[in-house]
Amino acid sequence: MAQITDKVREEVKEIIFEFFAEECETAVEDINDNTNIISDLDGDSLMFLELIEIFKKKYNLNIELKTIGKFAIKNPVKTIGELVKMQLLIIEHENNILNI
Amino acid sequence: MNNKTTLLFPAFIAEYTQKELETFSRHKIDFTKYLQTASDTLGIVLQDFTYNSEEYKNDEFLAQIIAYLFSCASFDILKKNGIKPDFGAGYSMGIYSGLYAAGAIKFEDGIKIIYNAFKLVSELSCTDEYAMAGIVGLSISDVQEITSNNSLSIEIINVNSEHSIVIAGVKKDVIKALDFSKMEGALAASMLNVKTPYHSKYLKPFANRFSVFIDSFDIQIPEFPIISTFDQRIITTTDEIRKELVFNLTEKINWYKTMQFLIQKDVSLFYECGAGKDLSKIARFIDGDFRFIPLHSI
Repeated sequence: MAQITDKVREEVKEIIFEFFAEECETAVEDINDNTNIISDLDGDSLMFLELIEIFKKKYNLNIELKTIGKFAIKNPVKTIGELVKMQLLIIEHENNILNI
Repeated sequence: MNNKTTLLFPAFIAEYTQKELETFSRHKIDFTKYLQTASDTLGIVLQDFTYNSEEYKNDEFLAQIIAYLFSCASFDILKKNGIKPDFGAGYSMGIYSGLYAAGAIKFEDGIKIIYNAFKLVSELSCTDEYAMAGIVGLSISDVQEITSNNSLSIEIINVNSEHSIVIAGVKKDVIKALDFSKMEGALAASMLNVKTPYHSKYLKPFANRFSVFIDSFDIQIPEFPIISTFDQRIITTTDEIRKELVFNLTEKINWYKTMQFLIQKDVSLFYECGAGKDLSKIARFIDGDFRFIPLHSI
């Protein structure tokens, strides 16, 4: 289990905001925690998958995609803020995320 | 040395970058002429194109036609700019624009082939009993297990990457497969906007008739090799093109293996010849030292 420090929290937020800004060709300043990933940014599942891969590599996470999928069904993510929270939980709990 | 170039041709357009028409205009490509030629060839009046045109999204046949027109126009930009590829590969129905680009078929013949292929398989699509779907986040073995454990009449008909799979088959079973996939932990599992189970066993009975039809066309030796998405062989002859056209409609394809093959052949530069950026998105999950050039950056 990784410790979620303020630094990690900021890092995750920055990566997610910059990722969507680049992918969706929008300014980082136009994205906030309430931005809807689908309706505001035209985001898709492949973007979500790519982000997961980025974080898996960056934090050397031991988590199966299927586990994230099962978690996401129970805890659907619509906004950027919710996605940041989910990503922090993934980093913190990895494969145990279904038990929290 | 990694310095080869490949042109990739998409099949359908999931989403436009909305820079396509501006790019055509900048390169003095009049897209209305492509639409007009298609109208004349088909003997129907195709509506003016806008990014929001519902008919070009929801009509399975028109969706293929518009994707073909965009791909051909995109290739014409590359040609004008002197880009000479080492290979070409068409994702599913993208083979037709790939063959146009390689000089193997005439522009109008591509339209006729799409029309006749669609007419042929409409025996299936008009029943509304078949479907296709995409599953993201599960592996091939996960989907195979779901299929066999639940005796579903579906098949994996294409693999985009390790965790992106396309299935086709009997509609009610495709729907079940999506439900099971979500329960199994798929990040996304959704129906595609088609009623024909392309590349599945249900298309096999059409192979002979399609082959006879293809034989009636004048096909030229391609100016650059086309890589088969069926078995990744290098296609350089007219006979092989004829075979591939039939395989491409009636057999499973594997885009992942096709991309891996191209990367192994030292391809480091890909151009996505068409609207949207679906193929470059898929490629992000394929390992290798390569890059995609967006059409609008040319």
